[in-house]
Amino acid sequence: MTSLSPSKKSPEDRHPFVDQLERLWRNKTAVAGMIVIAIFIFTALLAPLLSPHDPVDTALYDQLKPPIWSAEGRSENLLGTDDLGRDILSRLIYGARVSLLVAVVTVGIGVLVGSLLGAISGYYKGFLDNIIMRFMDILLAFPHILLAIVIMAYMGPGLRNAMIAIGIIYIPRFARIVRASVLEEYEKDYVAAAKAIGAKDWRIIFVAILPNCLAPLIVQTTLGFASAILDAAALGFLGLGAQPPTPEWGAMIAMGRSHILRAWWVMTFPGIAILLAVLGFNLFGDGLRDALDPRLTD
Amino acid sequence: MIRKIGLLLCGFILILAATACEVKEPEKAEEPKATETKEGGTLVFGRGGDSVGLDPAYETDGNSFMICDNIYEALVAYQDESTALEPGLAESWEISPDGKTYTFHLRKGVMFHDGTPFNADAVVFSIGRMMKDRKLKFYSQDLQVPPQERPPEYWVSMEMDDTVDSIEAVDDYTVVFKLKRVEAPFLANMGMDFADIISPTAFMNNPKEFLRNPVGTGPFKFVEWIKDDKIVLEKNENYWDKSGGPYLDKVVFRAIPENSVRFLELKAGNIHICQFPNPADIPLAKQDPNLKLVSQPGMNIGYLSFNHTKPLWQNVHMRRAIAYAINRQAIVDNIYQGMGQVAKNPIPPTMWGYNDKIEDFPYDPEKAKSELAEAGYPEAKDLPELTLWSMPVPRPYNPEGLKVGVAMISDLAKVGIRARIVSYDWGTYLKRQREQPEDMDMFQLGWTGDNGDPDNFLAVLFDGLASPAIRTQWKNEEYHRLMTLGKQTIDQEKRAEIYQQALQVFHDEVPAICVAHSTVIWPMRNNVMNFKLHPTASVRMKNVRLE
Repeated sequence: MTSLSPSKKSPEDRHPFVDQLERLWRNKTAVAGMIVIAIFIFTALLAPLLSPHDPVDTALYDQLKPPIWSAEGRSENLLGTDDLGRDILSRLIYGARVSLLVAVVTVGIGVLVGSLLGAISGYYKGFLDNIIMRFMDILLAFPHILLAIVIMAYMGPGLRNAMIAIGIIYIPRFARIVRASVLEEYEKDYVAAAKAIGAKDWRIIFVAILPNCLAPLIVQTTLGFASAILDAAALGFLGLGAQPPTPEWGAMIAMGRSHILRAWWVMTFPGIAILLAVLGFNLFGDGLRDALDPRLTD
Repeated sequence: MIRKIGLLLCGFILILAATACEVKEPEKAEEPKATETKEGGTLVFGRGGDSVGLDPAYETDGNSFMICDNIYEALVAYQDESTALEPGLAESWEISPDGKTYTFHLRKGVMFHDGTPFNADAVVFSIGRMMKDRKLKFYSQDLQVPPQERPPEYWVSMEMDDTVDSIEAVDDYTVVFKLKRVEAPFLANMGMDFADIISPTAFMNNPKEFLRNPVGTGPFKFVEWIKDDKIVLEKNENYWDKSGGPYLDKVVFRAIPENSVRFLELKAGNIHICQFPNPADIPLAKQDPNLKLVSQPGMNIGYLSFNHTKPLWQNVHMRRAIAYAINRQAIVDNIYQGMGQVAKNPIPPTMWGYNDKIEDFPYDPEKAKSELAEAGYPEAKDLPELTLWSMPVPRPYNPEGLKVGVAMISDLAKVGIRARIVSYDWGTYLKRQREQPEDMDMFQLGWTGDNGDPDNFLAVLFDGLASPAIRTQWKNEEYHRLMTLGKQTIDQEKRAEIYQQALQVFHDEVPAICVAHSTVIWPMRNNVMNFKLHPTASVRMKNVRLE
């Protein structure tokens, strides 16, 4: 195979990964997305260091203080306080943690289970394929947030259950993508070669085929992060996701909704936070797709 | 600038939220607008939810009773703004000296909406159908009371089967109730919604559908019910009481679940009265020149109680620790938005039997810590994470249960107690709470009185020895003795003393922490006249008019 040594400048010799990285770097929107994601992850990881207050500590007599730049704003609460006197900035910072956790866990469930099912049905084809994919079709036929609500209704509200519910609704989309790629790769010579030397099925699937299906999977995973954050916020907004007082962005919007005419900041800032995080992952995901799949770029 | 962007974004999100709630309500051209001013007219009442059913014997929720309040009447009635009794469908009554026989003399010339004359048989039929062993005697016709489809919940939970022995129609306008035991609140109970008198003809025509086709003697007649949307009533032209209303031609009860949407509908003039606004919207209603506010110190209590079936909560020091740890004044000031007062007794101060001598638990984290130490959990170490159940819906006694819950666990954290919120949808919450599950440590609930009798709070809510259906399964012999004594004493002054003693026991043992008595406050359009909030939260349209 090709080596990555910098001395060889010939474009034919370079590892495709370098090309892809270069394409990604040239894509300004993808870089912007990457920066947003970096800030988001950084905030989530360092939440206890960054946040000025305890996110669940109420101070009832300081409720609904506006952000610092308005006339009655106070320096203790940069983005103001919510209706229980909790610092909105701190809640946003800790909310990033919740959102990151939700994104990683749900997409994790989707990717693991989805790729496994997709690979099995793409590799074995036939009856098994039919069973698995028709079941995936049934899952896809439901509006996905409705399906999540049904699952939540069965399991009861709570962040953990919300993650499981969203994870389940993400399985089909990964299963489909992996199955399509596996079907394509299956016809290639290296698979035939692996079979010829007598490799076991699981080895062919996981060692030979799956690594070659990664590109679309990575793109879908990145985009999946965005929709997971959005779905978790939606469930939180409906009161099914994170239970109070967990600082979850969707739940924060729901709590702020009743104060919309008096205190716009309570629901606006979590709204902006969701918007930025989702936008970041979407931009980055699009950039990745352009970079990883040259057929899409002109 | 940033503020403007913020507003814009908020507006956008709100529009999304509003359209999400409104999808099932397509634009209705014929929807009566609230801006009509003519005498009579149509009043639109905006409320938080739809009715469950309209057969008063079987319903338990306020949204069903508020319709029943206008369609039906009972033998005795509560006055407009208190629970003092006045004649209803019974003109007068007599109680035998031993307190076990009640004779009601009925009003003559009253007709049900379907033309059936109101008489003693209708009373025997209406009340008698709730009895398990029906010892009934009709006078002019022999009505066959159909079997019960489901248990009449109020009747059962008030142990009326252990109270009422027989009901007899002596002549067309006299009914005699014979009781098995002395029951001091009996007369007041006969004014409650479950004791409303229904038309036997209408019920016999189709017993299963009666809850959707109610027929009574009240000031308004039932017209139509579109599920989860609205219930329409119209004026009963033949109403027997000519001294007052009804003045309105029509009353429409619209269900608008979202508090803020309902309030916006009021501001837009699409509804006349907005039930349960967000406390945060009250200041806006005050500023709006088209709106006015009507308030009433509600006959209610919002409380926090414990799972007394768990050994942890059988320890009185644990319960006291929680009582000292929670800053109830801050909750009333900031979550009730001042629309209420901190409670020290589980009955409201306007009720007889209230014990003013009781010294309330002050907010004192230090005392909470020392009580914790005495309970065997110094610094709250070794204490598992507690669960605090909180209501998911606004109730008359607590506008925002979840927020109150969050404030409470934040207070508990200050003395080292770890707790988390648990909430379910309202139906599940009420059902699971009764099971006293292991995963419930503390629960918030409350009560709006039905009949103005302290028994209706103290026994119904806290006397766990009386029945396993009592929500607070606190079992205290002394308290139970006082409750039984209170029921069987006729003299009100003596009863007041008994209940004051019971309240002292309650304070010493802390089976529940009394959080607040809320002031019920509803905004309405300026042109709504004569609307009065009743302490029992019933909604009466009889004397209301539009200008």
